[in-house]
Amino acid sequence: MRFAVCVKHVVDESELKIDSEGKPQLEGALGRMGTFDKNAVEEALRLRSALGGEVVAITIGKAEARKSLKEALAMGADRGVHVLAEPGVLDPSKTSGLLAAAIAKTGPYDLVICSEGSSDTYTGLVPPMVAERLGLPYLGYARKLEVAAQGVKAELSLEESLTSIESPLPSVVSVVSEINEPRYPTLIQIMQASKKPIVELSLEQLAVTGSSPPTTILSMTAQSPKRKRVIIEGTPDEAAEKLLGALEKEGILSH
Amino acid sequence: MKMSVWSFSENATVAAEIASAAGSLANSMQGEAVVVEMGNLRGDVSGPGKKLLLKGPLQAGASPEASAEAIHRAAKKLEPAIILVGATRNGREVASRLAVKMMTGCLAEAFHLSVEDGNLVADRTAYAGKVVARVSCPLPCVSTVRSGSYSREEAVPGEVQEFEVGEIVVKTKTLKSSKKESGTVNLKSAKVIVSAGRGVKKKEDLAMLDDLAREMKGALGCSRPLSSDLGWLPEEHHIGLTGVTVKPDLYLAIGISGQLQHIAGMKDSKVVAAINTDKEAPIFQASDYGIVGDLYQLVPALRRALSARR
Repeated sequence: MRFAVCVKHVVDESELKIDSEGKPQLEGALGRMGTFDKNAVEEALRLRSALGGEVVAITIGKAEARKSLKEALAMGADRGVHVLAEPGVLDPSKTSGLLAAAIAKTGPYDLVICSEGSSDTYTGLVPPMVAERLGLPYLGYARKLEVAAQGVKAELSLEESLTSIESPLPSVVSVVSEINEPRYPTLIQIMQASKKPIVELSLEQLAVTGSSPPTTILSMTAQSPKRKRVIIEGTPDEAAEKLLGALEKEGILSH
Repeated sequence: MKMSVWSFSENATVAAEIASAAGSLANSMQGEAVVVEMGNLRGDVSGPGKKLLLKGPLQAGASPEASAEAIHRAAKKLEPAIILVGATRNGREVASRLAVKMMTGCLAEAFHLSVEDGNLVADRTAYAGKVVARVSCPLPCVSTVRSGSYSREEAVPGEVQEFEVGEIVVKTKTLKSSKKESGTVNLKSAKVIVSAGRGVKKKEDLAMLDDLAREMKGALGCSRPLSSDLGWLPEEHHIGLTGVTVKPDLYLAIGISGQLQHIAGMKDSKVVAAINTDKEAPIFQASDYGIVGDLYQLVPALRRALSARR
């Protein structure tokens, strides 16, 4: 079976610096594979070891996005596909159009696996948009996946329910982060990853058509938590007493 | 023709919130708000504006794939300017499929929505809540709306328009659906949340935090490791970017270090207090009150102080 796994090269949110005007400094910020995308890669690898076949990691981005593909290859993906384009940072329509085109061009795949959302923007829109563009069923937020020749069965973790669902292949799935524990590549695997093939695709090669009007980012502002940051001192009993006193002053716990 | 703003969610509570978002948008543009209902009208969905009842082989629990197709068929005919969809897990599929079918743009997780010069403009958070982005998309367009951003309004009995959508073929098949074993957890509506993190040494110790939560008339939440990695609490207790987003009056973080992805789920709480042994823990930067100390001493001390007040 052939599995496509979509990974996004994202700015590491914990390393993201804010300048003196409260603007995030995205230029030159450290990038890596999205946190939850590792669960998608892990699931693809798990399915490959059970069913055989090939795992292809696909990403979109400028030259540095290759780093995220390398991470997927080090984890165990067989090959990489790099769409050389600037993904609309907050534009799932554009991103999904490019991904769908890359999947169609390098396919056919039996299953397209995505994470539940990217760790930078977390819209959760790209996987179902890819499914719609490819005319495929979508099984979103799976916490358990069973794949066989005749189809895929998933247990979806929705807000209030667990839903078992089945679908023929090919399908698009997204997985929640509790589905597995992503492996850490060894040093040897990281070195071997550089020998694995990566295909680069330009926008011209993909010839994406029918794209939607893009969303525009008007501004980005850092949110600074306006918190008092009072540290309460004293013995446990004193500190507990002071905390309750402070909370009562805030109008909390005063019944 | 009057511009219309549609709203839809498969979840009745969220549907009422999104209806009020659509109502205020419609008001601002002298348009009309329309609540989209699948198969049959739900009595508990309130909100301003009229109802558009999509008829066909559909039910209130229709799959997101079918719902998107049904809404698309109605939208082709009736041409709404904006379609708002509640940002639930299924809602995101509905919005995504709709935007692709209609070849429109799509905003995500939006709040503070407005219409400016023929564009839908909204705020959304990014980078685990570290950044707020103001985004814009030309009309017509689709947007998912972050739940908890609008309060539900009084039910207004409105006009009901029916629309026959016809046969819809769906490739997925739902085998069964069961309620999550969330017990009595309702973190969304809890005024006080006591939340447990990795500082809790063993599962049994959660009982002490659960007792504290009850004594504060609150609910017990947790950070991701406790539900996802350790499995000490069901996933419904997990507060954070990939879990539940909450905004209680008091959020008491106990033994939680305060990773950005956790903060993203609780940063809108009115007051945040934290207990952690590590004085450098990032949670203290996101707290109003912090106590650097051992939760195994502080939780009993808090319970004693609470009972002394009764």
